[in-house]
Amino acid sequence: MVNLEDLKKEAKTVLEEGKVKYIIGYEKSANGLMPVPGFIKSPEEVEKLIWTPACVYNLTKFLVDEKRRKSREKKPDERPVGLVVKGCDSRALVVLLQEKFINRDDVFIIGVSCEETGVIDEKKLIKKLKGKKAEKIEFDEKDNFIVTTQEGKVKIAASEVLAERCLECKANSPVIYDVLLGEKAKRSVDNPFQSLEKIESLPERERWKFWKEQLSKCIRCYACRSVCPMCYCDECVADTINFAVTADTTAEEKAQKIKWLEKSPVKSENFVYHLVRAIHLAGRCIDCGECERVCPLDIPIRFLNKKLEKDAKELFDYEAGFDPEQPSLVSSFKDEDPEDFIR
Amino acid sequence: MEKVLDKKSFPQWVKKLSSYTVYAPVQEDEVWNYEVITNPEQVNLDFPNTVLSPKKIIFPQREVYLEFSASNEDGLEVKEVLPEEEPSVIFGVRPCDARALTLTDKVFGGDFEDIYYWKRRNQVALVGLACHTPPSPNCFCLSVDGSPFSKEGLDVLMSDLGSKYFVEAFSKKGEQLINPAKTLFKPPTEKDKKELDKNRTEAKKRISRQIQNIKKIPPKLKGMFDSSLWDEESMSCLRCGICTYLCPTCHCFDINDEIFSSSPLSGKRIRTWDNCQFPDFTMHSSGHNPRQGKASRLRQRIMHKFQYFVERYKNYQCTGCGRCISRCPVGIDIIEVLDKVSSYEG
Repeated sequence: MVNLEDLKKEAKTVLEEGKVKYIIGYEKSANGLMPVPGFIKSPEEVEKLIWTPACVYNLTKFLVDEKRRKSREKKPDERPVGLVVKGCDSRALVVLLQEKFINRDDVFIIGVSCEETGVIDEKKLIKKLKGKKAEKIEFDEKDNFIVTTQEGKVKIAASEVLAERCLECKANSPVIYDVLLGEKAKRSVDNPFQSLEKIESLPERERWKFWKEQLSKCIRCYACRSVCPMCYCDECVADTINFAVTADTTAEEKAQKIKWLEKSPVKSENFVYHLVRAIHLAGRCIDCGECERVCPLDIPIRFLNKKLEKDAKELFDYEAGFDPEQPSLVSSFKDEDPEDFIR
Repeated sequence: MEKVLDKKSFPQWVKKLSSYTVYAPVQEDEVWNYEVITNPEQVNLDFPNTVLSPKKIIFPQREVYLEFSASNEDGLEVKEVLPEEEPSVIFGVRPCDARALTLTDKVFGGDFEDIYYWKRRNQVALVGLACHTPPSPNCFCLSVDGSPFSKEGLDVLMSDLGSKYFVEAFSKKGEQLINPAKTLFKPPTEKDKKELDKNRTEAKKRISRQIQNIKKIPPKLKGMFDSSLWDEESMSCLRCGICTYLCPTCHCFDINDEIFSSSPLSGKRIRTWDNCQFPDFTMHSSGHNPRQGKASRLRQRIMHKFQYFVERYKNYQCTGCGRCISRCPVGIDIIEVLDKVSSYEG
């Protein structure tokens, strides 16, 4: 089990030595169980850091902000940013390195191993506690979490409240790091695509019906896009911001700009949005599951990405986010790549 | 009008309202939302906070303004589209969400009435459900002039008394809902009234979250436009639209022409919700956006609700439902932000 004091010590050391400009980690929130992303700027603030099974966020996303901020500064601080990553988050980092969105020198990676366990699904926990309010959650030995509620402590089997993605995890401990806390461990997962089986077994018509119903619920808050570390485009088809407007662009020309999708949250437009999102993540998604976690309408969008992940594995024997030196799936070609879909 | 209604008789009351379109909270998977009810037995008032407030019925996310087509040589044919006029009733409206509508009324009313909004608003009767226990751990209605038993904006308020509901009607619309089912309602006893009072006192005590020094916040905000607090508090913001889309009082919208055919030209002019947290909100047609970073967008959300709106309408534009807190993907908490505003020095 990762000792929080070790994490604080590492963080304190790099801040004191001035090795990093700040550290992105997990901090206790003023209210409730879930932590908040913390931006630790001084050695004294290190005390705010926490590490619990509720540390769900993929903090890699904040490197996108950092890059933008830095690009606007006249004399930017060139030191790396310290970043606390779990196994899954480290794979996202690998993809960003592969795609040269960030450089290895931009980030000091503080890897935290989930060891034999993982992080919680807050919704599962709330259901499990049946109205009792969780105040604190801790790792116990490998198979349980200890939850403190107002009515006392409860021991809950980890398997009952673990996030879906953790049940199919391929990297319990970080695959890339500068310091590693906790043991390198790999929980054996028999079938990393098990969650897909049910929906894959449905006849095509039923699957169509399923997605029609699910995607019709979407209110296009774009939280699934916003939370995704791979969604770093400066311009997105979902926004009207991608108008290349110059001083002599006429009103007529502006009006004629192609709109890839309309703002109306109707089935056709919602499908365009979700399929664009999913396809853009093919061979890139590392299944941190954040998109599905943040959806206010509980749309199971992780299935879309999971299916593409499975295709990448089965068709091209490709797994995203393990090797920064490996060319990315969509930018590489091998002679043995299947081509029977070309007709 | 004060009555009591046996819980067992509740579906019969709903049945009597067959001339209305009936909305009530419906659960699908883990998500509760207001939907049209076809079977009165289906109405279940034992629900936590719905994800979206009843705003989505009166001010729908998508509204067609007009249809246009150039089908002949005479030019463009334009057809106005107005919401259908049909009486409807929403059951299980939380007092905070009803108060929220009274605030939106101010925005869409006044000198320039929004006909689309009012066509729906005037047709709908709101039947509230008092919050005996807070429907969300992040409820804070007491801090923003609300209460779990507030009747503001409601036509009827139902309060749970165990095996029955205490039912109060405050408007003609409300009485018209009760009249067709008169025989189902009984006058309340003294005991019922006492129990109601007791519940009201207890309900207030169960709300654990509150904003410190709320009265000081609007004047304080006035001097904080350039504060560094916004940079700090928005560090973890992802720029998604959850806080505003789920907010019962947010009402910004966008208007677009959606073209279905370019030759011959036909399409619809459509209003959709818009969101101040999105990167294209406030973007000028030149491409310049005066509200560039996420700090200025968080500031806008707070300023609009606790300064600009207060200045203009004398109310906070927040009713304490807690949705933005509960659903923020990174735990940005409006109560915490406001507490930091209170204690901010500099």
